Amino acid sequence: MIRLTQVSKSYDMGLTFAVRGLSFEVPDGETLVLLGTSGCGKTTTLKMINRLIEPTSGRIEIDGKNVLEQDPIQLRRSVGYVFQGIGLFPHMTVRQNVEIVPRLLDWAIGRRRRRAMELLEVVGLDPATYADRYPDELSGGQQQRVGVARALATNPRYLLMDEPFGALDAVTRDALQQQLLALKKDLGKTIVFVTHDIFEALALADRIAVLHEGNLEQIGKKERLLAQPASRFVRELFAKPARQLTALKDLRT
Amino acid sequence: MMVAAGLGLVLQRLPELWLRTGEHLYLAGTATAIAVVVGIPLGVICHRVRSVRGPLLGILSILQTIPSLAMLAFLLALLSRIGAMPAIVALTLYAFLPIVRNTFTGLGGVAPEVVEAARGVGMTPGQRLAMVELPLAVPVILAGIRTAAVISVGIATLSAFIGAGGLGEFVIRGLSMNNIPLVLLGAVPAAILALLVNFAIGAAEWGLRPTRQSEKGAWKPKLKPLALASPAMLIAFGVVTSLVELSPTAPRPGDGSATAGSIRIGSKEFTEQYILGELMAQMIEARTSLAVERTFGLGGTMICHRALEKGEIDLYPEYSGTGYQAVLKLKGSTDPNEVLRLVTEGYRKQYQVDWLGPFGFNNSYAITVRAEDAEENGWRRISDLASSASQLRAGFTSEFQEREDGYPGLQKAYGFRFAEARDLSPALMYEAAAKKQVDVICAFATDGRIAAYRLRPLLDDRKFFPPYHAAPVVRQETLRKHPEVREALAPLAGLLDDATMQRLNYEVDEKKRSPAEVASEFLKAKGLIGRREADTRTVKGSRSIRLGKIGRG
Repeated sequence: MIRLTQVSKSYDMGLTFAVRGLSFEVPDGETLVLLGTSGCGKTTTLKMINRLIEPTSGRIEIDGKNVLEQDPIQLRRSVGYVFQGIGLFPHMTVRQNVEIVPRLLDWAIGRRRRRAMELLEVVGLDPATYADRYPDELSGGQQQRVGVARALATNPRYLLMDEPFGALDAVTRDALQQQLLALKKDLGKTIVFVTHDIFEALALADRIAVLHEGNLEQIGKKERLLAQPASRFVRELFAKPARQLTALKDLRT
Repeated sequence: MMVAAGLGLVLQRLPELWLRTGEHLYLAGTATAIAVVVGIPLGVICHRVRSVRGPLLGILSILQTIPSLAMLAFLLALLSRIGAMPAIVALTLYAFLPIVRNTFTGLGGVAPEVVEAARGVGMTPGQRLAMVELPLAVPVILAGIRTAAVISVGIATLSAFIGAGGLGEFVIRGLSMNNIPLVLLGAVPAAILALLVNFAIGAAEWGLRPTRQSEKGAWKPKLKPLALASPAMLIAFGVVTSLVELSPTAPRPGDGSATAGSIRIGSKEFTEQYILGELMAQMIEARTSLAVERTFGLGGTMICHRALEKGEIDLYPEYSGTGYQAVLKLKGSTDPNEVLRLVTEGYRKQYQVDWLGPFGFNNSYAITVRAEDAEENGWRRISDLASSASQLRAGFTSEFQEREDGYPGLQKAYGFRFAEARDLSPALMYEAAAKKQVDVICAFATDGRIAAYRLRPLLDDRKFFPPYHAAPVVRQETLRKHPEVREALAPLAGLLDDATMQRLNYEVDEKKRSPAEVASEFLKAKGLIGRREADTRTVKGSRSIRLGKIGRG
C-alpha cells in the first residue's frame, strides 16, 4: 500500500505550493489515476513517491515504510516507473533498455536476457524483430511498449506511470490502454497513473483523484465523482466531455 | 619541372621525412592523449560542480590566448630543458580547452528527460555518467578532441624551435636558409597530417556509432573496429618511430652529459650556425670514434646556452660578443682580444664551459646599404649617413631593434636615427634592401648575400659594435671525458676568414645546397677529412644522427 500524509511541495521556500497538504492511500492491487490539468501537481506527486522530487513536508509510505528514510537508489530500482514522453535511452537497443534495472541489480546475463525477451512478448513486441533495434527505429506506440516492459523488468509490485500514452494517436492509445488493463488483471500490480485525459482516467481507474492547483479536489470511485462531484471544478471537469458525448450521440440520431 | 624537383627532394629526404613525421605525430599524439585523459574528467567536474566551471574554463581560455612561441619560451624557462618534454606540455595546455569545453557542453546537451529516466530507473550518479551521459555526449566530446588534435598538429610545427623535432625542423631550417622547397617539405606533410588526423578521428566517431538494424549485414559496419582504432594507430606509429630513433646510441633527454661514445652538438637556427655545427660534427666524426648527435636549429642564444649548461648538448658555436653581452651581461669593451679573454674567463668560472680557438672570422653587425647608393653619396663610414638619416628607411631584425648593442646603442653612439626602422626577418633583410624596400639593414658581416645582392657594409668608425668572433663552446665535463674532442676541433681554429665564411654561407643560402654538403666539401678541400673517412662517417653516423641525413643521401 502507498500512503501519502499531508504532503506538500514548494519550489520557492513556501511562497507558493505545487502540491499542498495532499493525503491519500492506494491499497494493493488498485489503480489510482491522478487527474488534472497541466500544472495541477499530479506529476510532482508521482515523482515524490520514488523521490525524483523531495517533498517539502509530509510523509510518504510504501508498505508502511517512510520512503524518505530509504536509500533513493534502491527505492527507485524497486518501483517500476514509466516516463512521460519516451524516456528510453537512445543509445541502447530495445533489449538493453528493458534490461537496465536487472543490470543495475547485477542479475546474471542469461537471466536478464530471458526476462527481457519474456517482457517484450508480454507487451506485444516480437523479440526476434525488435530486441536489437534502437528506439528511433520504432514507432511511438512501440517505444511506449518498451517503456512499459522496462518498468516491469524486475516484477515490481508498484508501478508509477506518468502520462505514458499522452503523445500517442487515439487508436494506438486505446490499444495500449486495453493492453494495460489486461496486464493489470494478470499481474495484479498496484498502479498510480497520471493523466489529463478524462476518458483515459475513466477507462483505467479503480479510483480517481482530481487535483487542482496543488490541492486534492476529490478522490473516489469514478461513478461517485460523476454522480456527486465535491466541487464546482470537479463538476465542470466532467461536464464538458459529457456535453461532447451528448452532442456526438445527437449527431448519430 | 617543379613537380619533378619537388619529388626529387622528397625522395632524397625520405628517411628523414619519415622520422620527422613520426616525431610530429608523437608530439601531437602524446599531448592530445594526455589532454583527453585529464581533460574529460575536468569537463565532467565542470558539468557536475557549478562553482568550478567559471574559473576553470576561464583559466583554460586565457591559456589558449598565449601565443605559441611565448608559451614554448616560457615553458623552456620553467622546465629549463630543451626537447620533447616542454613541447608536449605546451601542446597539452592548448589541447585542454576544446576537450574540457566540449565534454562539458556535450554532457549539458543530453536531453533532460533521458537524464531523469536514468535517475528514475535507479542509477547512481556514477552509473548515470558512465552508462548514459558520457555515451550520449561522445559525438560532441569527439568533436572537441578533433579540434584539439588538429591544433596540436599545427602548433607542433613550432616545437622544433626548442629542439623537439617534428616536421617544423624542415620549416625552421628552410626559413633560416631562405630555402622555400625545404619549408614546403615540412609544411605540406604537416598539412596532410592535420587532414589525416582529422579524418582518423572522424572515422573513430563513425566507428563508435551504433549499427542500426537497417545497416546490419552490409560490409561497411565490419570496418568499424578498424575505424575505431585508426587514431591509436597514428599515435603508435609516432611513438614507435620516435623510439626507434632514440634507442641505439642516443641518450635519454636530460640525463646529464653525453654517455660513453656519443657527443651532442647544438646550433642556433641560422645558416652559419648550421655550417659551423656541421664542420665540428664532421671533424669529430672523422677524427674520433665518437658518434655525433646533431641538435641543430635551437631557437636562440639562451636556449642553446641553457641546453649547454644542463648538459643536453655538449657544445655549440657561439660568438664572443654574444657571450659577453647576452650571457655574461657585461659591457664596455669592444676590443676583440679583451672580449675573448673576458668571456673565456667568465664561462670557465660561472658555467664550467671552455671557449676553444675561434674560427677566425668576425660576424659582427654591419650597417649595410646598396652599393650604388654608397657610390652615389660617397658613403664609406656609418658617420657618413648622419646627414641623410632622416630620409632613410631601415630594416632591422627584431633582435637588433631591442639589443643594447643594436639600434638603441647605435643611436647613442652616432647621434642620429633613421626615418623608420621596420622589423624584418634575417632571411628577408638582404632581398628587401636589394629591392629598395628599405635603404639600410643590419647585415651580418659574414653573410654571403651582401656580395650577392650588391650591398656594401659601412665602416664602424666609432667602434660601436662589439666583436663577434665565433668559437666552439664546450662543456669542461665533456672535454675531461673525451679529450680527443679538443684535438679534433683544433684545426678549425683560424681556418675561416670573413670572405671564406661569406662564401660558405652563400653556397647554402643562395645555391640551396645543404650545410652538411658544403661543410664536407670545404673540409675535404682543406685536406682535413679524407674521402675514406667521410664514407665511414656516414655509415657510422646514420644510426644516431638526427639531422645528419640531410643532403648526404
